[in-house]
Amino acid sequence: MTEPAEITLDAITPGMDLGEVVYGPVEGEDFVRYAEASGDDNPIHQDEEYARRSGAPTVFAMGMLNAGYLAHAVSDWFGGPHNLRRFKVRFTNRVWPGDEVVCTGKVVAIEDGVVKTTLEARRRGKGPEALGLDEEQTAIIGEADILLTS
Amino acid sequence: MAETSITFELPVTPEKVADFALAVGEDNPIFFDEEAARQHGFPGPLAPPTFTVTQIFQVPREERERSLGANLDYARVLHGEQEFVYERLPVAGETLQGTMRIANDFVKEGKRGGSMRFVTYESTFTDAEGALVLTANYTLIETSKDADAR
Repeated sequence: MTEPAEITLDAITPGMDLGEVVYGPVEGEDFVRYAEASGDDNPIHQDEEYARRSGAPTVFAMGMLNAGYLAHAVSDWFGGPHNLRRFKVRFTNRVWPGDEVVCTGKVVAIEDGVVKTTLEARRRGKGPEALGLDEEQTAIIGEADILLTS
Repeated sequence: MAETSITFELPVTPEKVADFALAVGEDNPIFFDEEAARQHGFPGPLAPPTFTVTQIFQVPREERERSLGANLDYARVLHGEQEFVYERLPVAGETLQGTMRIANDFVKEGKRGGSMRFVTYESTFTDAEGALVLTANYTLIETSKDADAR
């Protein structure tokens, strides 16, 4: 296990890039594990047949699984999860088996000791052949506020 | 007859916290190890930032629909957005009291014809002392019948 490095407010400046963290490639077994842990048992994420009947070429990741990875990344950038004050995500594209989830973030402002950030999670991979997707697409656009001490 | 809110309990057990943390790829000992959590001033392991999605175990979709009566057609529903606002993260070993209501329900006309209905379920979680722990806003988008399938 790895404990993220402590960070103080002086180390943060508006405009700074927070880095890039890559999770995955995600596979069906990750969706099954997340279903069991989260209670999201919608079969569209686990059952190939069901997914096809619903119009998807195969199963795909729960949005909140990808959001969980992004929350993990932002927690690690800011010394741990306990400094988070707000985390918001908007889902824009699905993440498919074999995709990596690439998390990035940027500091936009510092207001009263609260660091305001914008976040992005991109899917990177071939995706299902039938969809002919670009190699990279935005899966999540997000924001987080983090309270740091000086 | 629809009700205005649903109340429920959300148990935050060390086992569920660990399972959830593993499912989102967490490796920070603050989620798994009591000693690591104590070093940061917490009485037990913290729940990951997105942990309260496990409320679906307590209030399944059917019950939520029956009680709050949004009348969504789930064949046309996407998870659009999710937001968490934190006073603090839940701590393993406590049981949170949840209250869920519909905070927003509106229709937006699409640029390319068709409309989208946005329904936001707001869940507030309080602790044994009655203090607010966090608020979660879960926004579903129902696409109109004639819209292109995504």
